[in-house]
Order: sequence, then structure tokens, then C-alpha cells
Amino acid sequence: MPNSLQQYCLLSLTILLALGLPIEAFAHGVDDSTRTFLQQNTGIQIIPFLYIGAKHMVTGYDHLLFLVGVLFFLYRSRDVLLYVSMFTLGHSLTLLFGVISDIQVNAYLIDAIIGLSVIYKGFDNLGGFTQLLGKSPNAKLAVLIFGLFHGFGLATKLQEFQLPEEGLIVNLIAFNVGVELGQFTALAFILLVINFWRKHPSFIQFATSTNCLLMSTGFMLMGYQLTGYFMS
Amino acid sequence: MQQQTIALTKATLFKYTLVSLIFAAITLLTIILPAEYNIDPTGIGQTLGLTVFHNVKAEKTTTLTSEKVSEKVSGKVKWAIETIEIMVPALSGVEYKFTMPQYKKLSYEWSTNGTALYFDLHGEPEGDTTGYFESYAIATLKGMEGSFTTPFSGDHGWYWKNTSNSSVTVQLTVKGEFGKHSLK
Repeated sequence: MPNSLQQYCLLSLTILLALGLPIEAFAHGVDDSTRTFLQQNTGIQIIPFLYIGAKHMVTGYDHLLFLVGVLFFLYRSRDVLLYVSMFTLGHSLTLLFGVISDIQVNAYLIDAIIGLSVIYKGFDNLGGFTQLLGKSPNAKLAVLIFGLFHGFGLATKLQEFQLPEEGLIVNLIAFNVGVELGQFTALAFILLVINFWRKHPSFIQFATSTNCLLMSTGFMLMGYQLTGYFMS
Repeated sequence: MQQQTIALTKATLFKYTLVSLIFAAITLLTIILPAEYNIDPTGIGQTLGLTVFHNVKAEKTTTLTSEKVSEKVSGKVKWAIETIEIMVPALSGVEYKFTMPQYKKLSYEWSTNGTALYFDLHGEPEGDTTGYFESYAIATLKGMEGSFTTPFSGDHGWYWKNTSNSSVTVQLTVKGEFGKHSLK
């Protein structure tokens, strides 16, 4: 991996610590102070929306699990960039489209689909699709599709706050840019750890169990969200 | 492209997938569902003490100094006058809601001992999970007197936000037809 990426990690870490990174992970929830802000906010507020977007991504563990799965066997930085761009394209499209055209999707179902994406990636990393179907489904397309779902999740969460029309587009774009910044930061940390781990023999030794665990976590996320859906 | 380094036989793959699924199911049934939704089919969640999250609301309510204990029966609505003291900790927000049917009126009066609080008086429809709410009043005040009529059945009440460095006690008096009420 390029050295600049690792430098970026350290820089991000410093910035996040300076900002007082919240310890708890919300996985799509919006906390108390954010809620107050969203309700009181009027007009264009680029920096706050940028921050909420970034925070949302960095603290969303289901999203991070999917990224771990996607990056697990990606060795080349060009591939990393390509996959991340596909994901970004996917969720940017549905986030903007979802909020602007007022489309609301059930948050439990969206989160269940994100859980499914974790299962898919764990199974794919285990070579499951190659074994069963003879070939792995187009991974880039899959990342794009799951990106689309993730964007709908974000859009639904944002719409709960009935954001004022004034400055909506600019705020949304700021939020989206924040999501990318947050994603990039999370990605840098994941890459740092995975690349370090790869140099050790334990990486191959534990590759199977790690992906089984990933798949298992995906099942848990799905079960958790579907239960929420059927209870509501 | 992706470099695949795991190659398993069909049998192993099936076994691993099954193990993942079983592990997930066990964790869900014994830990996650009891803690998150109070669904505890095995009773293990209760044994581990994970269902306490769902007793929190009740415990919080009992710590409130309520001058008159209301009928805390789910779904039952009674006309009552009540005075409740709600503590809003420094730099945080609390919600206090009343469960009310549609088209019921609640008269209220609340005040702090001088500190202005940001508040959002709103209602959430019964059974709604999208997080939708309708606000009846939003302002930053030391107190307020008024009434509202519920546009739908559900939980109606206040969100108070304390931005000061010390806790603030809100003294709330309500008059009307309501059922359960507690901190949310």
C-alpha cells in the first residue's frame, strides 16, 4: 500500500481524536444532539452536514463490516479505489434521489439488506459462489447494488427529520461529501490493519474463520433487523 | 481483479455456512433479541441480566417524585391532574411522553427554576417505527402554559434540551385524559 495512505490514517486519527470521536457506534441511528441540530437547522449548513455524514459512516458498524469483506482479498490500491468508487456512486445516487423525490423505504428492511450484503461478501470470500455456481457474481456490480440500498437507508434516515427546503440540496451534497470522507477514513483504518495482518502467516490461517465470522455477523444483523421489522 | 485464496470443498463450505448460521442463531436468541427487543425464548437473556434495558423506563419513572400516582395500566386512559418533576441532566436532553388516544386534550404548565430550555412538544403515532413525529411547539423558554389536542393516537410530550452546565428540574403539571407516561 502506498505510504501516503498510512500517513492519511494517522492524520485522520489525530483529527478524529481532536474532535472527540464518540465511542458508541450507532449503526444508522441519529443521536440526541444531532437530532436537535437537524430539527433546528435552517438554511445552508455545510460543515455540520459534512460532519454528520462522516460520523454516520465512521460509526456505522454494519457498513464497516461490509467494507472489511470487500477489502479482504483486494491487494491492489487500484482495485480498492475502483470498488470504493462503485459503492460511492451507488449510495450517492439513491441518497440524493431518495431525499429529493421523497422516497421512504422501511429502515429495518434496508438494514436487513445491508446485513445480507455482509453475508454475501463473507460467502463470496470463502469461494462459495465459485464452488456452487462455477463463478463468482460480478463483484463490482454487487458492490454498486448494495451501495444503492445503503443510499436509500441514508435517505430514509434523513427524511425522518423533515429537513427544511431552504438549502436542502447544498446540505444534502455536504452530507454526501461527509459520507465519503467518513468512508475514506474508515477505509484507511481497515486497510492499515488488513495490510499489516497480510504480512503474517496468520492471515491465511485465519482467512476462513474470519470470513465465517463475517458471514455469521451478517446473519445476526439480518435476524436482528427482520425481527424489528416484524415486531413493528 | 480479486485474488481468491480460499478454496473449500462443497461439503466444507456447507458445513461452515451452517456453523455460521447456527452461531448467529444462538447469539440472536440468547443475547441480541433479549437485549434489543425483550424477546427471550430461551430464558438465557433473563439469566444473564440482558433484559434489564427494558426495565429502565419503569425504574426511571419510579425515581420521579410524582405527587399523585397515576394508573399505570397500559392502554387505560383516565382523566387526571398530575404534577411531575423531571430532571434534565447538564448538556443532555430527555423526553417525557404521555400515551393518549386520538382527539384528547391535555392542558399543561411547566417551568424551570430560571434556566431556559430548548424544547420540542410533539406527538408520535402509535406503532410508528419510521421515527415520524409532529411538533406542536418548539422554542427555548423557562416555562410554558397551554394545551394541545392529539391529532392521532400515540405518545405525546416534550423533548427538553439542557445546554447549561448544571442539571435543570422541570416541574410539569398536566390535566387531561392520558394513560401511561414516562421518560422515553
